[in-house]
Amino acid sequence: MENKKSSSPAGFIDSTVVPGDVVLDLSSMTNQTIKIGGGLRQDCDAISVMKAGTLRFSKPNKYWVESSQKRYVPCVEDTVLGIVVDSKADNFLIDIKGPALAFLPVLAFEGGTRRNIPKFEVGTLLYLRVVKANFGMNPELSCTDVSGKAAEFGPLKDGYMFEISTGLSRKLLSSPTCPILEALGKKLSFEIAIGLNGRVWVNATSPDIIVIVANAIMKSESLSTAQQIIMVEHLLKNIQ
Amino acid sequence: MEGRISNAWRLTVNDKNFIKTALLSEIRIDGRKPFEYRKISIKFDRGDGSSEVQLGQTRVMGIVTAQLVQPYKDRPKEGTLSIFTEFSPMADPSFEPGRPGELAVELGRIIDRGLRESRAVDTESLCILAGKFVWAIRIDLHILDNGGNLVDAANIAALAALLTFRRPECSLGGEDGQEVIVHPPEIREPLPLTVHHLPIAITFGFFGNEGILLIDPTHNEEAVMGGRMTMTVNANGDICAIQKGGGEGVPQRVIMKCLQLATSKAASITKQIKDAVEAFTERALRKIKRHPTSTDVDVKEKQNQ
Repeated sequence: MENKKSSSPAGFIDSTVVPGDVVLDLSSMTNQTIKIGGGLRQDCDAISVMKAGTLRFSKPNKYWVESSQKRYVPCVEDTVLGIVVDSKADNFLIDIKGPALAFLPVLAFEGGTRRNIPKFEVGTLLYLRVVKANFGMNPELSCTDVSGKAAEFGPLKDGYMFEISTGLSRKLLSSPTCPILEALGKKLSFEIAIGLNGRVWVNATSPDIIVIVANAIMKSESLSTAQQIIMVEHLLKNIQ
Repeated sequence: MEGRISNAWRLTVNDKNFIKTALLSEIRIDGRKPFEYRKISIKFDRGDGSSEVQLGQTRVMGIVTAQLVQPYKDRPKEGTLSIFTEFSPMADPSFEPGRPGELAVELGRIIDRGLRESRAVDTESLCILAGKFVWAIRIDLHILDNGGNLVDAANIAALAALLTFRRPECSLGGEDGQEVIVHPPEIREPLPLTVHHLPIAITFGFFGNEGILLIDPTHNEEAVMGGRMTMTVNANGDICAIQKGGGEGVPQRVIMKCLQLATSKAASITKQIKDAVEAFTERALRKIKRHPTSTDVDVKEKQNQ
């Protein structure tokens, strides 16, 4: 029974997994490439789980384990919000809520050369991408997308940053658009950046919109979809 | 060392600027008005003499214990009241384990001053035998979560714990009438402490240049604000203590304004504490009455043994 399950990944997808579960057997799927995300590790041919959560699969080939926690464990290709802690000759030291500080090489910007190294003061908020996340090493970040373009990455100006759980940040980023953002977006106009490390940055023209959006998101942590919509409607009624 | 750096809590430049600019239009990040207090909830989960106070994100646990000791030589007829603070790194990674930090000492001192120098607790009634035995009351304040304004929360926790604390009843016996007999709670109902009034600490934050004043600052606001002032007042409007921290100077009229605000807040907080304590004592009394036979049996059995 157990063996049968592990050979067909579909059996585990969207179900709860615990550390030690072997969810994929690579020897039976030799002709395809897969990408594994947070909470999974490869031991030879077996892909096993490292944290409790729900196994997710996204077409064509991405697998990851989803759970909700306050501490972020870095994972390659995640987009995160980081705070500049220090700048060294080669790297900026960035706090991404992980167990160790992350490095952002000073050249990891679009068209970055030794001549045009940006200057960030301590406490600057950056929207970044995780490039390397190996054990025993500080994670490495980048301010460009895979093709070396700046995309939307880089420093975030003004606005307000607050912290939520990693599970909620994933929900906010999911498609179709999370109901709470949908409901807020119908009435208010605001700019938002969500990092998978549980940090959210909101900007709007007036501070009261920022306060409403920030508090609505923070409150939605423990609410169901229906409750979230009711809460947002209630909030919006109050300001009109 | 690197672990400590990566664990430290930090505020971004964006947040600092936002808190300041939003305050200019009287908006606070948690949606409060500048003179609005956060919601207080007081729980008594661990029975008599202990309380858990939640003020927004801040959580503080207060525990009161008593011990029979010899009094100080210069005050042979007075019991003692002492306050100990415990700042766990679980509450805030910036608290170092072991060594009490600057804030821990200051917090203990503010509460100590408010309670002791205003003579809120009647220490003379704690005397059993002059010069030999008095009760030493110890208040332990454990910070469980730091969401800002620890002083006010810890002060409420201390008061709530003091009000529910019961000390065992004592009488003098023996041949010369000099022996102290401590009666177990089953035989004689333990006695509450005599608390004359409740000194409530109210903390204000100042954002200097713009002359902004706010009450009950959160963790984020504490990191941005220039100065703070804690006023300990009671519901009758008596000033028990004032502590001014941080660097900013405060004009006299602002102090008077703070006093007015503090007095009105102290009245409502006093009511909340009293209501919570009353509800708890009623529940506790009912619980004791519910099993009068079982306690009786226990005592008799003990006596037989």
